[in-house]
Amino acid sequence: MEIVRVSNLQKVYGENKVLRGIDFTANAGEVIGVIGKNGAGKSTFLEILMTLKPYDEGNVLLFDKELRTLSTNQLEHVRKDISAVLQPTQFYKTLKVVELLKLFKAYYKSPVDIEQIVSDFKLQPHRKKYFDKLSGGWKQIVSLAIAFLSEPKMLILDEPTTGLDPHMRNMLWTYITDYNKRTGGTVILTTHNMDEVEMYCDKVMLLNDGVNEIFDSTEGILSTGFKSINEFYLSKVSI
Amino acid sequence: MLATQLKYDLLMFTREIFYMVFTIIVPPVTYLFMGQLFGDATYAGNLSYAETYTPSFILLITFGVVFFAFGFDQVMNRTTSVEKRIILSPVPKRTLLLSNILRSIIITSLGYFLVFFIGMIAYDLSFEPTNFILAFGTFMIFNAALLIISSAIYSLFTSLNGALVFSIVIFQVVMFTGGFTMPIAMMPKFVQIIADFNPLYHMNQLFITVWNGQLEWNSATFISIGYIVIITAISLLVLRFGNSLRKSSFKWYPTNRNRGGDVRNESFTGH
Repeated sequence: MEIVRVSNLQKVYGENKVLRGIDFTANAGEVIGVIGKNGAGKSTFLEILMTLKPYDEGNVLLFDKELRTLSTNQLEHVRKDISAVLQPTQFYKTLKVVELLKLFKAYYKSPVDIEQIVSDFKLQPHRKKYFDKLSGGWKQIVSLAIAFLSEPKMLILDEPTTGLDPHMRNMLWTYITDYNKRTGGTVILTTHNMDEVEMYCDKVMLLNDGVNEIFDSTEGILSTGFKSINEFYLSKVSI
Repeated sequence: MLATQLKYDLLMFTREIFYMVFTIIVPPVTYLFMGQLFGDATYAGNLSYAETYTPSFILLITFGVVFFAFGFDQVMNRTTSVEKRIILSPVPKRTLLLSNILRSIIITSLGYFLVFFIGMIAYDLSFEPTNFILAFGTFMIFNAALLIISSAIYSLFTSLNGALVFSIVIFQVVMFTGGFTMPIAMMPKFVQIIADFNPLYHMNQLFITVWNGQLEWNSATFISIGYIVIITAISLLVLRFGNSLRKSSFKWYPTNRNRGGDVRNESFTGH
């Protein structure tokens, strides 16, 4: 089942044409990595998919609905099926972890049990800590827990593992892949870690100068002779 | 959902020492301290210290709450990307707005009754039901006007530091030119001129007269009301056209298009 279909997507900031005609599709259950150097338009692309930014040209269909044609109420309805871990990860700093979970449970009218989420994400020692006092890794884990509260059909992660130590990174990916297998949800993420792309992503989209230069399966890219996704990236993207 | 949002909004307010100090602690303490110094003096309209400064300090608390907990908070959430994460969730925007307004009304009303209670205990302030009801109604109108003015001013800020410096400076300016410390007539000429441009000064003058049942429909009253109305109207215009002024804020779909506008004209986050 098709979750996202993007065609000829263009976005301009003043004189700066950030996206120059992106074509993209994501099906249910896929994990797709969006890669490219800093300033390539990755975050802009994700924020358009998150319904946070308007676009200038092209079409964006989320769950078979063209974003531009939706009313505010319809948009709020679409957002029930989307969740995200943003970069940087920030929530109300004077709320405790368990309070944040309860607040977002109310936002999403989620039937998920808070205690189950606390248990699943091993948040018991942190449940009464203020979000602001958590380490970067635990902030990401809490952010992911909040994202999973709504059992989203599409999960968008903007550099979710940046700054995390290997254990936390591994923990985060375990949750993401478990979610993907358990619910069949689609995951779209950006990262600069090519090993993660190779290990976890079904497809890769390389953004270069606002154009999706390559959009193929990970196996497809490796079958063209590259030893790794890292080698592929270095050969395709100049400094 | 509104009850949950309001509960956490109130909880967050009580956990912000900065807000608590400037809104709930400093004004009542100053009210008591000033009373010790000038409690026996008689003020304009043959009013006692309590009759003059009880409404003034209620207004000062309202100003503090609305500007810090409502306005400054907006900037903090916007600049730290909290707002972006909230927008992404399916919570109706009217729920967030309503919760914010209710939070301000609840906290400022608490301030109202706190200062009034201190006035009754410390300065034998009398309770006159008709004046009390009229004063509370006026207080609510001023509350609404301050919410609009605060929203408009803080919508222009894109940096937390800028908003913080502004908040601290404006608090001092309002304290001294709003008639909250000493009668403006006793201040230097330049302070009196600044006071004329300070909407809080006009609100203060009106509130004192309503509080004491001395409101007269003269030119001074009309000038004060007119000035407050004009500032509130300008603030509404700023909010209305704020999207084009706030270059670094982000926009979301699709209100412009629904009204027949073009989303291409919207500004961007600068991301």
